[in-house]
Amino acid sequence: MYTLGIDIGSTTSKCVILEDGKMIRAMSLVTAGTGTNGPAQAYEQVLQSAGLTQADLDYVVATGYGRKTYEAADAQMSELTCHAKGVYFQNPKCRTIIDIGGQDAKVIRLNENGGIADFVMNDKCAAGTGRFLDVMAGLLQMPVSDLQKYALAAKEPVRISSTCTVFAESEVISQLSQNVDMANLVAGICNSVASRTAALAKRAGIRETVCMSGGVAQNHGVLSALSRELDVPVVEVEYAQYMGALGAAIAAYEKVI
Amino acid sequence: MNTAELFEQFHKIALNPRAQKDAYLKDGEKVVLVTYYVPEQLIHAMGAIPFHTYGGDLPVNEAKQYFPAFICSVMQTMLELGMRGTFEGCSAIVIPSLCDSLKCIGQNWKYAVPSIPFIPLTYPQNRKPDYGAAFTRAGYERMVRELEAATGLQLDETRLKESIRIYNEHNALMREFSALCAEYPQVTATQRSDVYKSAGFMKKEEHAQLLRELIACMKQEVAQKSSGKRIYISGILADAPEWNRILEDYGLQVVGDDILACSRLYRDDCRMPEDGEDAMDALVRLYCDKDHCSLLYDEKKSRVEFIVQEAKQRKADGVILALTKFCDPEEFDNPMIKDACAEAGLPCVVIEMDRQMQNYEQARTIMETFADMIG
Repeated sequence: MYTLGIDIGSTTSKCVILEDGKMIRAMSLVTAGTGTNGPAQAYEQVLQSAGLTQADLDYVVATGYGRKTYEAADAQMSELTCHAKGVYFQNPKCRTIIDIGGQDAKVIRLNENGGIADFVMNDKCAAGTGRFLDVMAGLLQMPVSDLQKYALAAKEPVRISSTCTVFAESEVISQLSQNVDMANLVAGICNSVASRTAALAKRAGIRETVCMSGGVAQNHGVLSALSRELDVPVVEVEYAQYMGALGAAIAAYEKVI
Repeated sequence: MNTAELFEQFHKIALNPRAQKDAYLKDGEKVVLVTYYVPEQLIHAMGAIPFHTYGGDLPVNEAKQYFPAFICSVMQTMLELGMRGTFEGCSAIVIPSLCDSLKCIGQNWKYAVPSIPFIPLTYPQNRKPDYGAAFTRAGYERMVRELEAATGLQLDETRLKESIRIYNEHNALMREFSALCAEYPQVTATQRSDVYKSAGFMKKEEHAQLLRELIACMKQEVAQKSSGKRIYISGILADAPEWNRILEDYGLQVVGDDILACSRLYRDDCRMPEDGEDAMDALVRLYCDKDHCSLLYDEKKSRVEFIVQEAKQRKADGVILALTKFCDPEEFDNPMIKDACAEAGLPCVVIEMDRQMQNYEQARTIMETFADMIG
């Protein structure tokens, strides 16, 4: 049996095909999210990669911001529920999930059975999200994937105090004009995201094992800063960016069995 | 009228308070705008109609010149409505000093809406002791003097007892309706909200009459099967149409509330004054004896346990804390309520509300997740 989960986010579209609810058969990611042809592309790519056709799929669940407008799905489910399912599938010891997406951040506390015990989301502000890192990387004229390399080489991270992305941008420009070391500046930016996310996480309550999902989990500068802020190890879950789609595929499997 | 027709009647009034206000004015009535914890019985006994205003779901443009962005949207939209002329014809507005935001609306109102006199109502921090009651009474007397000047009406002492009786009767009906909603899952979040909202836009005796009919009709119906997702809501207000639709979309049944603009207003009755007893004193005691409210000083925070007990008594599966953005009194209480719910095994979620919300996608995601969590 094949089930497909599609996570249509603000900046990316992800698909996962699950075989018999147990094995990941294929995954795809397109860097175009809701309101674009990204979801359709991700869908086509995952089918191609799995060597399957639409007819082979038993059930499709959509999640993420674009879930309501994606007509090819059999059902929709909230991204928090899907992330919980996906991360628990990958790491059953996980009790706290920190997910930093393109436009929001969420913290989910799990019970022993993988059910959601509590959760919090950030408000409608780009601070502490992937978008914040995108803006900063753009300002520093480097790809967002390079931020990690700089952050981990920092000796004395600078302090970015503004909560607002726009004000933080001014602060970074001011630091640049003072010729501060690039590594220290990037580490300051990563610390700033970590500090806002840690505040959110503390509201939900931290229980180990703490796992991080979402695209930002791949930035170990943020990951290690978050670990320091929370004073617990934070581990990157495998295929961090696909947890919503994986959870949706699991939910699809649960619908048909 | 049958149940559906009665709910439709409440819906029309809840949706268009301006038409209701204009109709009263056309009939030659005096309308006085009020917000939370104004002693409406005094206004009623003067022969005027107390008319609720908690702002509205609209973008703030004009009022921005008086307030920073990070302040309570209830107050901002109240001023916005005033500046747009929505309240024209009203005799006055009475605003109590119950939170820091409300305290600073008066100075702006006087300049921004000069056509509608602003009447402040200053309440004491310590309301329980005798000096607190004396302070409250002095505030009521001042409010009456200013209202008499604004409306040309006089407080009729003999009518005050009758007004107290009418308000008590209405309170009892509102409580009965709330209890019925817990038993009848077919009552939608919108319908429940409409009944509470319309109560502020009608003469209490008129609203009571409609509500009496509705309760009688509801009791003749068979309760439908519950969705199994019974929720209790706390907060200042949660009446946006889109918010109610979200609750309905995820099968969340509102079985009780601690919303200030809903049940909190109708919890306590005024003790009927004895013959020869001063009726205003009874009203003063009604306010001074109030408890379980974020806006009323309470060092023991009895409200926290009250909410847990109410939610349990109504057999709620979860508690929603509808947090009005930038509302300090509610923000102070919420962590305590959340902890108490966790201790009682009640799933609890906090969701920020704002009068200016245009996009409810995040609220939808949170509620969808919460419904999954408790379902």
